[in-house]
Amino acid sequence: MGNTKKYICVVCNHIYDEALGDPETGIAAGTKWADVPDTWSCPECGATKDDFEELK
Amino acid sequence: MNTVIIGSGVAGVGLALELKKLNPTSEVVIVTHEGGGHYSRPLLSHGFSKADIESRIILKSFDEIRALGIEVLEKTEVLNINREMKELKILTNGIQSDISYDQLVIATGSAAAIPPPLAKYQEHFQNLNSFDDLKKLRKKREEIINSGKSPKWLIIGGGLIGCEVASDLQLAGTQAGGDQITIYHAMDRLMERQLTPEQSQKLHTHFSSLGIEIHYQTEISGIEKDETSGKIRVSEKKSPEGIDYDGVLIATGFKPRTGIALAAGLECNRGIKVNEFLTTSDPNIFSLGDVTEVGEGSLFPFILPIRNQVVWLAQYLTQKLTTPWTAPAYAPKVKIHGFKPD
Repeated sequence: MGNTKKYICVVCNHIYDEALGDPETGIAAGTKWADVPDTWSCPECGATKDDFEELK
Repeated sequence: MNTVIIGSGVAGVGLALELKKLNPTSEVVIVTHEGGGHYSRPLLSHGFSKADIESRIILKSFDEIRALGIEVLEKTEVLNINREMKELKILTNGIQSDISYDQLVIATGSAAAIPPPLAKYQEHFQNLNSFDDLKKLRKKREEIINSGKSPKWLIIGGGLIGCEVASDLQLAGTQAGGDQITIYHAMDRLMERQLTPEQSQKLHTHFSSLGIEIHYQTEISGIEKDETSGKIRVSEKKSPEGIDYDGVLIATGFKPRTGIALAAGLECNRGIKVNEFLTTSDPNIFSLGDVTEVGEGSLFPFILPIRNQVVWLAQYLTQKLTTPWTAPAYAPKVKIHGFKPD
């Protein structure tokens, strides 16, 4: 997998980790952020994909 | 084709944004009684421990939504739905008007369900059901702390929301205030709908170690305000003389806001009844989110299935899909600080 990134919801701080994906919302482990559908939203607070920032 | 959506939560605003994305020239109107923007309701139960919550909880201001070409009628009540004329009678700042629709979507969400025996004490307890409720509670908490005291809270209800709020108030108290929290639960274990008996026990141990007091199978026999101290005195069968609290929060479940649909003669049960096409008993009226009951008795009051309804309904209303909605598999997450069920 290597070189995976993490993204954080600026609303509630939920973290999307590419390595883990988000199986509960149907996003398989290893899914790159770019491949997460635009219609996906934060499973914690409902914020949209636009509300996530890369976590460095 | 114009679509009018009643409600500005995850369901209503989500749908408006999707519709606009799929068909930029479509006319979309949101009618909402809210005035503070589109906010995250799940974050309300985490609203005490985060200092910047009041700005953070707003997912989009109404002006940001308007900038996308969606009309937002805020602080507006829907008085009735005229299904024959396909019109809504609305009230904004005391002024009545009518707006017409081709398609109407009811996404009015849910309110706090108050157990009937407690309804008569309503003026003495608070809900945590809206951003306004949160702001009031935060203000009250701040005043108590500023007067040099530790806020003493009673949370009625040991379900998902009650436990999340207890956890969040406790965490907030470790930052400032040292809040004391008691939970009264009518059942014999915490979060019996979401947790196994073992997990409930684990949560009980977790809460106890943090100083949260929990009473089970409680029966409240009185709630009154002591006018001199301003405290709320709650009597329970094991403490009939009453115990004083600074604030009493009720978290005993939710109740779909079906009022407007019922008055319009739409078929309702616990929620507004829809078929597998999220269509009510009127083919021009749709419903999604907390207020909606799909088929026989299924409600989906969680972000994941509601987002799923949003995406599906936007495609269906713009004729991009004809297959019925099916509920996705999901497990609600338990958001208790420092606690993992397994």
